[in-house]
Amino acid sequence: MRNSIRQSTLETLGLGTVLEIFKKGKLPVTASEMADKVFGKSPTRGALVISGANGIVGAGKTMQFGSRLLPFNIPIIALDLPGSPDGIGKHFSNLSKTFGKNEANAIMKNIIKLNYDGATVPDTLKTYNPRYLLEAIPEILNLKKKHYELFRNTFPGIQISSVTSGFPSSQLGVNIAHPAFPHEINKIWEIAEPTPSDFTQLLWSLGLIPLQVSDHWSFVLDVFFCGLMLAGLRYHNKSNMPFWKTDKYIRQLLGPNPFRAHDAIGAKGANFLTWSCLHHLDKNYGTLFTPTAELEERKESGQNWYPLDHFRPLVNWSLDKEENEIFQTMMMGALFQMTSIMIHEKRSHLSSMNSIGELCAQFTRGILSMARKAGYQNIMNTVQDYHKLHPESANTKWYPDIFNQISSSEWQQLYVNAEFENNAGVITISRESYNQDIDDELNRAIDWLKAKKVKRVILTGDFHLSTQMVGADTNDFFPALTNANEGERIASSWSATARRLYNEFEISVGFINGKRCMGGMLELMIHCHYLISLDDTVLAMPEVTLPVVPGMEGCHWSLRKTKPELRQNIISMLMEGGSVKAQNSVGWLIDFSGSMEIALKKTWEIIGNGKEVLPFREVFSKPIENITFNGLKSDSSSNQNIMESRKAIADCIINSCNADLNDALTIQAKHSAGFMLSKLCRKGRVGSEYDKINVN
Amino acid sequence: MFPNAHIPYGTWGSSFFPSWQSSPLAEVNICQFAGESMSRIMGKRKVSTSHLDYLIIGSTIPWHWKFWNATVAASCMGKRIPGYQVEQACATGLQAVIMAGAQIQSGASEAVGVLTFDRTSDSPVGVFPERRSYQRTQAISDVWDNFGFDPATGNAMLATAGLAARKYNIEKKEVDELTNYRYIQYFNTKEKGFLNRVAVPLELLNVQGKSMGWINEDTGVRKIALESLRAMRELDTCITSGTQTHASDGMATLLVTTESKAREISTKPEIKISFVGKSEVRTKPGLMPEAPALAVQKLLTQINLKMEDMKVIKNHNPFAVNDAIFSKLLNYDWKKMNNTGCPLVWGHPQGPTLTRVLIEAFEEAVDLGGGYVLVFGCAAGDVGIAAVFEVK
Repeated sequence: MRNSIRQSTLETLGLGTVLEIFKKGKLPVTASEMADKVFGKSPTRGALVISGANGIVGAGKTMQFGSRLLPFNIPIIALDLPGSPDGIGKHFSNLSKTFGKNEANAIMKNIIKLNYDGATVPDTLKTYNPRYLLEAIPEILNLKKKHYELFRNTFPGIQISSVTSGFPSSQLGVNIAHPAFPHEINKIWEIAEPTPSDFTQLLWSLGLIPLQVSDHWSFVLDVFFCGLMLAGLRYHNKSNMPFWKTDKYIRQLLGPNPFRAHDAIGAKGANFLTWSCLHHLDKNYGTLFTPTAELEERKESGQNWYPLDHFRPLVNWSLDKEENEIFQTMMMGALFQMTSIMIHEKRSHLSSMNSIGELCAQFTRGILSMARKAGYQNIMNTVQDYHKLHPESANTKWYPDIFNQISSSEWQQLYVNAEFENNAGVITISRESYNQDIDDELNRAIDWLKAKKVKRVILTGDFHLSTQMVGADTNDFFPALTNANEGERIASSWSATARRLYNEFEISVGFINGKRCMGGMLELMIHCHYLISLDDTVLAMPEVTLPVVPGMEGCHWSLRKTKPELRQNIISMLMEGGSVKAQNSVGWLIDFSGSMEIALKKTWEIIGNGKEVLPFREVFSKPIENITFNGLKSDSSSNQNIMESRKAIADCIINSCNADLNDALTIQAKHSAGFMLSKLCRKGRVGSEYDKINVN
Repeated sequence: MFPNAHIPYGTWGSSFFPSWQSSPLAEVNICQFAGESMSRIMGKRKVSTSHLDYLIIGSTIPWHWKFWNATVAASCMGKRIPGYQVEQACATGLQAVIMAGAQIQSGASEAVGVLTFDRTSDSPVGVFPERRSYQRTQAISDVWDNFGFDPATGNAMLATAGLAARKYNIEKKEVDELTNYRYIQYFNTKEKGFLNRVAVPLELLNVQGKSMGWINEDTGVRKIALESLRAMRELDTCITSGTQTHASDGMATLLVTTESKAREISTKPEIKISFVGKSEVRTKPGLMPEAPALAVQKLLTQINLKMEDMKVIKNHNPFAVNDAIFSKLLNYDWKKMNNTGCPLVWGHPQGPTLTRVLIEAFEEAVDLGGGYVLVFGCAAGDVGIAAVFEVK
């Protein structure tokens, strides 16, 4: 009987569990079968109509569907008013860069631009047999309703979704498919519908990330994003701190810079949308959401939040301790209160809600994750203090008891889930980069599986929120830039977690199924007894380019598993920072690669039949000598920084390999931590990112 | 005078006044600096700029985009409120406050921001076509040309000081001693931390957002010895480089509001500051340093008060002889005035000078438990201005 720590987010889409995917040896649905279901089979296959296709959202989604639906011969009808400025053509250059000119031309050939007068649809449209309407017209309720009526009258049976960021389905009378910004590349869609539809499953099968949300005003993303903007505006009103500096402090505290984002999206449209979202929330929930006078003014004027170039900020602002506490209270108090309302209303799976903040609103850590870390009492204190600073917000009901549930598994496993059946378990990670939250949750997941006597385990992504594994989250390294103990703690504790996969299970299989697996995530995965990947997945250890010294045993673990004559491949990867396709790394980095179905089946076979299925490459625990660095490609820039970074990594490789396995963990952690303190690291990517958010 | 207008205690502040060419302020848009600084200062005082519904700015030296005057300053604070610019040479800083009082008294506004500023460093050079001039086209340097030439009399500022000193038989010995005493007053007060309640340190950024440095000192002001003053060469009667002020840059701000708004936003709502009276005179040609004293005489008569009724007396004194003449005309000991410093010492950025004088005077009055505050000064054109406020 299957058991899991919590419900997987995949289940909210009606797509089963990750364990079932491995058991069945295939994905729950394919794009081809879902395209048939939504658009009909050839020769009666219909078209996707995107209305308001020249707007920011419409044009972005036209590009996204244009490229993804091309293999299925589904025409994209880009419909808009005759006077609307072309929003589609300007995407062509990026399309060419991404897909190449021929592919880009083919995509554009399948996008048919049609004009309509708003009251009737062009006759030509009928010839394309529209089966699905994705509405992206302005956020005016009556306008939208008339639009649906027009399409339903003209094309009875047509399915409709709205991209609205705020209106619930109950107001519009259609399903909601709200895409996150930026629209041409962001894969997230907030979906509000009674049960998972074919269209939603089509999105998933196309590699997009639909997230089920409940049918409440502004869903989840816009409550977070607009709510954060509002909190920033309120702090501005309280302190007079200019928007640009408020933005920098918000970025330091939480990750996003909402004021800059509004300007970048286009202040006129973005200001209106934020106002509209807050206005409706204000009407439905009260003064916690009341837009400020500045927003009221700027939704009309469309004025940018950042000063014009000739008035670049002149007088600096910095917060003293007391001011900083007020700032943090104003931000976190508002967000905690808003979050409590959304959780009370069960607006989405907690993992989805947490991830929406990270994946769409650029939160460094999801709000639920931050709330979990803060703990119940701190949250209570923060919201109470917030209400003293902004008494109007106290007039809106909030639900403190929600935070009493923090110890539940739904709260404790926001990023890492585990499930098992009989002796076989699966651990899934739903975050693309490894951080302390993942580490803590992974340890809890391992503990849980061990307590259930599970001896064989698969470690993989969640087939939903995480579409790749990009490495360690460098935000977690910031304290290590000035504190060697912190660097050592991170490297050694994360390595110790990774070793549990090797030491505490009879069999562990790492399954890599995304676009890429790099850096810290790859270091984690190589600790599994077997590593299996899709053929085309890109594997890389790009640390030398940042530069940092790998801290999770990447400098010796694979070398200990690999035949001496193949070790040069690993050395090159570490020293050059290059990448390799998974299918070209079998035998020295991974153990097997194949298509999705073949790789899934092989993984399940190993879990079922053990080490007879594939030769097991044991980790050599004695010191390895004679590591050589011959034949490395010279860096084209040959600059001093690269040479120094390579030397630091080479030193780490030599010293950690030339030690017993037991000692190697500490040795590598010391090398990694020591390098974090160097000027070179400070000047590199990690240091620069730290400087960007280190506001004074 | 203006019974409905009040100045909320503690909502004010100024920048320090770095002397001419001694700080990054020498090369920035001073209106932008003033607008952003006003926000910062009000933030420090825990007063939201959202309270403001009008802005009166006081500035005398042209700055880039001056055409847009108060609206530019408001925009630099992130606010879209109306307002206008007023200027009256060195009387600007007091005149702007009086105008703000009138704005409140008229009922047109509830909370007026007074923002005064000037940058004497690198003042703009303009070209004025003059059809009737033998030079046809004259390039003018706004600050130094005007300091050196009153078009109504043909005299330089400095000459008016010498002329007035001679009229009142002022001796250099007294002027040197008076100047020395003013420096002692300033440095004593500074050491006690009084200035921290008035001036706010401000950091300036370049276009890349990197620090250009802090404005956290009245740079250029150094302790001075009486012997040094005595040794200085006279430029005119009683006037040396030591007994006159120096050009500087800076800003100052305070608020004028209704009584209820003052109670709402003041850091000490129990303190009430109100307008009592104001006067102006224009004295005979070339006698500017006597004008302030004459204005005070006129004002005291006007409001039926005496010098003994005044708790704090403070003035804009570009020349030390101003104080000596005042002392003679009002029969008042110059040691009992300007207790916390004065423009003779900390400089002369024109627009904000009398605003800072006023702020220091209010703080001193509060320290002394309240009373009448007399603030006065001279201005170009042989003008004197004086005003009395009451701090309760």
